[in-house]
Amino acid sequence: MSTIDVKVAAIEQVTTLVKHFTFVKEDGSVLPAFSGGSHVVISLSIGGRVHRNPYSLMGSPEDTSAYHISVRRQERSRGGSVYMHDNVTVGMQFKITYPVNLFSLAKKARKHILIAGGIGITPFMSQIADLERLGADYELHYAFRAPEHGAFAEKLNKTCGNRLHCYIDSVGERLDLSVLLGNQPLGTHVYVCGPNAMVVSVLEVARNFGWPENHVHIEQFLAPPIGEPFKIQLARSNKEIQVPADMSMLEAIEAAGVEADFLCRGGACGRCELQVLETDGALLHHDHFLTDAEKASCKKIMPCVSRAKCERLLLDI
Amino acid sequence: MERGYWIRSKPVYTSLVWHEKATSHLVLTQDDGGMALLKLFQLKHPKQAINVLYANNPSSKVNYAKTLEKVVPEGLQIFNTEQEVLCAFNDVLPTMFMGLRLYVAGSESFIWSVSECAKAHGIEDADIMKELTGTLARTVYCVHCKAITHDITTNIGKCCGCGRMLFVRDHFSRRLGAYMGLMVDAESPGVLPEIEEIYP
Ligand code: FES
Repeated sequence: MSTIDVKVAAIEQVTTLVKHFTFVKEDGSVLPAFSGGSHVVISLSIGGRVHRNPYSLMGSPEDTSAYHISVRRQERSRGGSVYMHDNVTVGMQFKITYPVNLFSLAKKARKHILIAGGIGITPFMSQIADLERLGADYELHYAFRAPEHGAFAEKLNKTCGNRLHCYIDSVGERLDLSVLLGNQPLGTHVYVCGPNAMVVSVLEVARNFGWPENHVHIEQFLAPPIGEPFKIQLARSNKEIQVPADMSMLEAIEAAGVEADFLCRGGACGRCELQVLETDGALLHHDHFLTDAEKASCKKIMPCVSRAKCERLLLDI
Repeated sequence: MERGYWIRSKPVYTSLVWHEKATSHLVLTQDDGGMALLKLFQLKHPKQAINVLYANNPSSKVNYAKTLEKVVPEGLQIFNTEQEVLCAFNDVLPTMFMGLRLYVAGSESFIWSVSECAKAHGIEDADIMKELTGTLARTVYCVHCKAITHDITTNIGKCCGCGRMLFVRDHFSRRLGAYMGLMVDAESPGVLPEIEEIYP
């Protein structure tokens, strides 16, 4: 997968838990164009191991002199975000993928309802720049835990004015999805990015009100879960490799020098799908991509997030 | 006829059934679509509000309008032409909310006129339930002169614009609500395959 060489131009502590990073091209030239909702995957080498983490681009798509991302510190995770917070300094160099958009705005929508929870605000930052430029009708509903966690509330207030609605959990403000989704004009699309419970409720409320599925858009990249180690065999590259507890199958495949496809690395897009040729154990599917029937068939697996409990898992790669 | 493979653009029509999840329902029907409407009302009615727009054809054999007045509990409006139904539809669309479910039954050209109106309000044709009734007669657009000829019931039909004999294909334009027609005797003028009625 071709990558872009960038360096860190600026770092800003936005809240106690969120840092904002600005990347520019090492040679000072402009970066590839992108559309609102796009993300890039950044490679971090931590303790001799390569982590590849996806982050939404949050700058305006009109400005390609720099890319902007924000990272929330996740203590109980595999260390990518903690590394970004504690070890990354201005001037450091990284390789990132070209931007990919798995959360694009529906062009034909008459109105856009954006729903963000916490750090889930990031993909909306670039979408809002697009919506403002197009003069589109939209509302942004932004829920966060406490006033000090509303990372971008102030900035958004300036851009969005009364299109912004904030819900601060600590003062008892709640977003009522039934009210919100119960009376939207025909042709409205809804987009959600945030914690799982929020995504699930939006999907459910929209379905109960009879919203067509293609009017409901979600961005939900999972972090690869930590699990038990297991062994896999790669049929085409003729290799047997061990997948450690804190590494995903995809990372283990890459670490073995085998090139594999991916886009989101979070079980959402389906790009990394591998055929399961043989197995003597159980597949532990974690992705949001495969249907339940596909999961049960044990014929396919998403190595970016899914794992297995087995001695033998022969993959077609 | 093209057999053995499926043309992706060819529309799929089903029988109308109520959506369970909805905030309201709007059914648009024309002429013989009245039968689809009667069948629909045989099913258990949904809880939400139902509105029905029906274009009656006074010259048709069966008078559905009369029966419909008895069967449809409320929200029925009967019009004399398709055009009036489409105007009424255009008028209500801006006042409607997400969760409105759309159903249409009638001729192919009526179905796609409804779909075009809905599209202007951000509704995709996939979200409209469609039942084709009465006739399979095709509207055909001539790829040579762009003219649109209505009610072609045969495999080969004469273009009303340029007079070419057109082979009626399964390729369908949703925007035009018409099938593609290609000159059939381009290579050997005047030599035509047998003309058969296949879209009665
Ligand atoms: S890379 Fe997207 S599902 Fe695995």
